[in-house]
Amino acid sequence: MNAWIRTHRHALGDALRRLAAQPGASLVAVLVIAIAVTIPVLGLALVRSVDAAVGGLDTDPHVNVFLTLDASDDDAKRVEAALRAHPQAAAVRFVPRAKALEELKATTHLAELLANLERNPLPHAFTVRTRTADPAQLAAVRTAWLQLPKVEQVSAEFEWAEKLGRWTRFAGRVLAGGAILLALAVLFIVGHLIRLQVVTRREEIEVSQLIGATAGDVRRPFLYHGALQGLAAGASALALATGLIAWMNAELSVLTSSYAYEFKVVFLDSSTVLAVALGTALLGWLGAWISVSRELRRFAGQP
Amino acid sequence: MIQFSGVTKRYPTGYEALRDVSFEVAAGELVVVTGHSGAGKSTLLKLAAGIERATRGSVVVNGQNLSSLGETALAVLRRHIGFVFQDHKLLFDRSAGENVALPLRIAGTASDETGRRVRAALDKVGLLAREKALPITLSGGEQQRLCIARAIVNRPAILVADEPTGNLDAESSRAILELFLSFHRVGVTVLLSTHDVSSLSQLGGRHLALRAGLVESAAPLGEAVPG
Repeated sequence: MNAWIRTHRHALGDALRRLAAQPGASLVAVLVIAIAVTIPVLGLALVRSVDAAVGGLDTDPHVNVFLTLDASDDDAKRVEAALRAHPQAAAVRFVPRAKALEELKATTHLAELLANLERNPLPHAFTVRTRTADPAQLAAVRTAWLQLPKVEQVSAEFEWAEKLGRWTRFAGRVLAGGAILLALAVLFIVGHLIRLQVVTRREEIEVSQLIGATAGDVRRPFLYHGALQGLAAGASALALATGLIAWMNAELSVLTSSYAYEFKVVFLDSSTVLAVALGTALLGWLGAWISVSRELRRFAGQP
Repeated sequence: MIQFSGVTKRYPTGYEALRDVSFEVAAGELVVVTGHSGAGKSTLLKLAAGIERATRGSVVVNGQNLSSLGETALAVLRRHIGFVFQDHKLLFDRSAGENVALPLRIAGTASDETGRRVRAALDKVGLLAREKALPITLSGGEQQRLCIARAIVNRPAILVADEPTGNLDAESSRAILELFLSFHRVGVTVLLSTHDVSSLSQLGGRHLALRAGLVESAAPLGEAVPG
């Protein structure tokens, strides 16, 4: 084993000994950082869950045209021809009432209830992709199509999904800003804790420098200390977030049991988990580096 | 091995500790620096060991001009120069053995080699039995010997000692000086300071007298001071 590896092994051992020597203080420090990291981790999981849910919704501009229940296949063909002839219609998809019933059975929990019905309660329908998403133009389209024979209802319900998508994107940006602020807080916390360590060990640092320790040699154990603290805090934050998500899902399950749609908070994927753990370790390392470097400059400036 | 050429050292306070000092120390030589308090002895030794930097002139050690070295290179050079501090600079929360091991830890020496060398250094200064003792439990003479053990544990070619017998009784002083003579006899270059001129007769070697930052007298290279 060469000297370089041994100096790193010594530094790691020194950092672990220092953490173990004050278990209470180390635990509190890790928990304080962990709570700061849990907030953006949880926020990220929530935003991604909502984003995934919104991603499953159709946000392209489209209008649904529902016919009356007594509309025949011939009526539907006439309406289809009229819709296709409209200048704002980009594409027209016919949804026969039988198919609509099958889809409803497949995508909801209402299959048993629907099976007991004597007749299909759903009408023939059309989904029309429009060339515009402008509310005024869509209102004109809606009015025009409501005049067609056998048309009962015309709706443009994609707008709420589109708005929700915009809100989740906005929440993502707010979350990124918050994460940056909390990362700065982690830097500050680690830096402060390491500074206390450096001040406590000032005599040892000065003697070490006199007998040949470089600034890197002095910094090394503190960098490991900061990185280990960050890593432990990152792992604790992920554990906290997992527990909170499990609790939220249990509550959401009760809350959404009466709806056809089930919403769940999904936990972060493995690459994001790794990024959180390594990111907090890196923040700890950086906080320690800034703090030790500043203290060494301060020591050098003092008699 | 050590060459001072027109060296001046001025501290940020404006105090000039050394003025235009020039001298040479050959490999394996023993040079004793004398002078009253404030003569510049400690500054001269710190410059020779790379602990301080010259304001003007050049200090060359082992062929390396210390003025041209960066902080990291200067720190690495210090590992090859054993320095015995006037105030010992021991870590009082570490055992004697751990204090001696510090330079080896910094250099990344293997654990088994560290243990072997620490015990050898402590044995050399007569403190092997006190390896586990805390420095606070050692006498002044023993603390000084512990400091010497730390200085020699890296097997330096140059040993620099600042007033190693200061505040010691006559018997302890003789024992410490005898240690330095033993290192000199095995070829180590020794540069030490003292304000006690009576010790010169025991040490022999060459004599460099400082007064108010100036070299007052210096026996030429290779010429010993008469006993």
